[in-house]
Amino acid sequence: MSSTQNRIAGPGLALQRPGGFAPSGWMFGQRLSTLAVLLVIGVLSLLPMVRLVIAAIAPGGEADFGAFAERLVKPAALRAMWHTLDTSFFGAALALCLGIPFAIAVTMTDLPGRKTLGFLLLLPLMIAPQVTALAWLHLFGPSSTLLDMFGLAPPPGTGNPMLGRGGIILLYGVQHAPIVFITMRAGLSRVPRDLVEAARSCGAKPLSVLRAIVLPVVRPYVVAAAALAFVSGVGNFGIPALLGMPVNYLTLPTLIYQDLSSFGPSVLPQIAALSVLVGALALAGMAFQSVALRGAGHRIVAGKPAQFELGRHRLPLACLGWLVIGLTLMLPACALLATSLVPSFGVPLGPQTATVANYTEVLVRQASTVRAFRNSLLFAGGAALILALGVIPMAARLERFDRRWRRVLGGIVDLPYSIPGVVLAIACILLFLRPLPLIGSLYATASIILVAYAMRFLTLALKPVTTAVGQIPRDLDEAAAVSGAGPLRRLWTITAPIAAPAAVAGGLLVFMSAFNELTVSALLWSSGKETLGVVLFSLEEAGLGTQAAAIAVSTIVVVVVLLLALDRFGRRLPAGVLPWR
Amino acid sequence: MRQIVLTALLLAATVAGATAADGTLVLYTSQPNTDAQQTVDAFMAKNPGIKVDWVRDGTPKILAKLHAEIEAGQPQADVLLIADVVTMEGLKKEGRLLSYPQAKVDGLDAALYDKDKTYFSTKLITTGIVYNTKAPFVPTSWEDLKKPEARGLIAMPSPLTSGAAMIHTVTLTGNLPEGWDYYGALAKNGAQASGGNGDVLKAVSGGDKLFGMIVDYMPIREKAKGAPVEFVFPKEGVSAVTEPVAILSTAKNQEAAKAFVDFLLSKDGQEVAAKMGYIPARADVALPAGYPDRATIKVLGYDAAAALANDAQNKEKFSTTMSQ
Repeated sequence: MSSTQNRIAGPGLALQRPGGFAPSGWMFGQRLSTLAVLLVIGVLSLLPMVRLVIAAIAPGGEADFGAFAERLVKPAALRAMWHTLDTSFFGAALALCLGIPFAIAVTMTDLPGRKTLGFLLLLPLMIAPQVTALAWLHLFGPSSTLLDMFGLAPPPGTGNPMLGRGGIILLYGVQHAPIVFITMRAGLSRVPRDLVEAARSCGAKPLSVLRAIVLPVVRPYVVAAAALAFVSGVGNFGIPALLGMPVNYLTLPTLIYQDLSSFGPSVLPQIAALSVLVGALALAGMAFQSVALRGAGHRIVAGKPAQFELGRHRLPLACLGWLVIGLTLMLPACALLATSLVPSFGVPLGPQTATVANYTEVLVRQASTVRAFRNSLLFAGGAALILALGVIPMAARLERFDRRWRRVLGGIVDLPYSIPGVVLAIACILLFLRPLPLIGSLYATASIILVAYAMRFLTLALKPVTTAVGQIPRDLDEAAAVSGAGPLRRLWTITAPIAAPAAVAGGLLVFMSAFNELTVSALLWSSGKETLGVVLFSLEEAGLGTQAAAIAVSTIVVVVVLLLALDRFGRRLPAGVLPWR
Repeated sequence: MRQIVLTALLLAATVAGATAADGTLVLYTSQPNTDAQQTVDAFMAKNPGIKVDWVRDGTPKILAKLHAEIEAGQPQADVLLIADVVTMEGLKKEGRLLSYPQAKVDGLDAALYDKDKTYFSTKLITTGIVYNTKAPFVPTSWEDLKKPEARGLIAMPSPLTSGAAMIHTVTLTGNLPEGWDYYGALAKNGAQASGGNGDVLKAVSGGDKLFGMIVDYMPIREKAKGAPVEFVFPKEGVSAVTEPVAILSTAKNQEAAKAFVDFLLSKDGQEVAAKMGYIPARADVALPAGYPDRATIKVLGYDAAAALANDAQNKEKFSTTMSQ
């Protein structure tokens, strides 16, 4: 928006017509850089999608919709489809139930400790789903080391209640409540304070104010939050992989993973069809979300957000909030910690049995886990650095596109992030498995993971930087141009320094997401290129649950430290750059 | 800023160039992670010039990965150490295995290696029954898993993940009088088939399930660590795989690969396996603690050629039978 204002207010309209003022080489440079930006976006964001759709619909070179449909109506595929829809729907409903009250409490009330509560509620978003799943898995069931310590573990032979449909829904709710929280906070901050206060002074009860004033303003945000939570459920891999696969409860992403990892590339056409299906499902949800939000919030210009005083309910409500956070966050974390300290699964934890052997095994001894820490740091760090640097010139160029184009390109950049990671991984295998001219086959190299990360997380790095670049007054750039500074020099001396903090924040977001991820690398890893997600999953599958727990605890420590650093750094950033600020 | 650019480029170069150096051997194995590491450590101690990178997954999965790499024109592995000879026989037919006529097979029964010396058995891994010590009864026969007291309390590995489980399925359906109906009855009794042997161990030692079909060394070893599990050799007999090792014809480091094969077959290598809790292939190395006498273990046979020919159908049949 600010760029539009600048364009109207900016004095240098003459510069918008480059022909009259600038040398012709400048025109050429402009075209070249435009082409470069389009090429980067095309290769990173559009190409994988196109390749996937071709593989699904026309595996032999000719479109065959009959075969495509046939692959989708196999009983296993239909069952997985149903499981995906079912768990995502109820998971989203639960996420709304958790996220909305917290959003209201943190934005609109005087609840004590609300800032900390908000930060804690956001944690699951930053912690890998497979880690969350592992923690909850160790919380319940007869094998729970934590429950066993207090003699509360159910008798042997009782199934773990987290396994299967119920557990997946519960964890989708916990994992995606932060998404609802963030979306709702954006909506709630637009509730006009004066209207609320007017209603209150006329004697309206808080609940009827909520219904009559708050609800109509935030309704689009509720719909958007529900759609986002639903889409996140559709694409989630870590949770159904740990909670569903052991009991043969498969969702589409886990079915795709299981087929490819058990049967190899011969099943790629079948898998490509499933991937297109789940990708389409995710994109439909995203489209629904953006339609819901279109125009929302522009109708009412908000001043300060409305505030409710809780009065005598303050303390009980605060206790309730802490209780929910304690149950959904602290307790599973304790269960994970307890499991990581016993020598073998099923051994009770006590002063005699407690051991750090699992930590020494995964952090020092076992080559593959040590390597995984190094790889995840390298891949995530590499992707973060390359993206953080690359998006600055991209954002500067995008800024010159007109609004409609910017929106279209932004949508395309969003694609690989919106679709499930498994789907992107399949697309990468299709693209890079067979050797290509010049670069050869990327499969089984580190590059394929790095490229996939760049594709997936480009949007995370680009968004904060476009926001920051959009806020640079155009006069600055134009003044420099008039003084004879070339485009590169202006990029280096004006855009880059101003956009740098946003680029750093974007880079950190990319780092954290890539450091945590499992979905992409689960299918792309190869010998010596395992990521943390992959070894955690592999240890758990090999029956070494205690070592998997030790890895999980270690990654939580890394992420929380990073998050605190980012939060501290975030105080110096423009608003809207960090998702929780 | 310039420094950041340089660092980024350097980092990108390191990431892209993080490939094998000289003297590196790439091992693809289905041994559990800790075992793979111990095997490799023992080998590297004897061969200090060689560094081993290993990758671990269930046999069908590691094979799927290898096939994808072959299709990409860059198979990564030099050596395979996987569950069963049937899979090896398949690879041999595709011309993927290197013959190693000079392999040091003395001390090894001739039935334990391929006559063309492409793959060599390293251990004996039997599949029997595991139960949690809090289980309501002690199973002694495969038929006991059909008892109503075990209803909903049985875990078993899936042939989609485990090579040993594939051979086990073929063996039981071929030897038990009911054939595939035995699995049908287990499915009706609420048996849960998924994942590998590690999943079964976790489920039974954790108490989520109380009975399971499993490879011998896992419960025997975990019992020694204090886990509440017990392993049973059922009276009808057990199925067995032999965890063969083979060199790929595309191996980049054939010399190191040969050294690895010789090490696994040597008395030292076999003692390492025994120390980890496996039944060694060589008769002159003693069985680890917790096992009965070698002569008393009754191993059931199976038709290897049919198992290879019907591999895909058997997996399909297992999936349909168990998901009733």
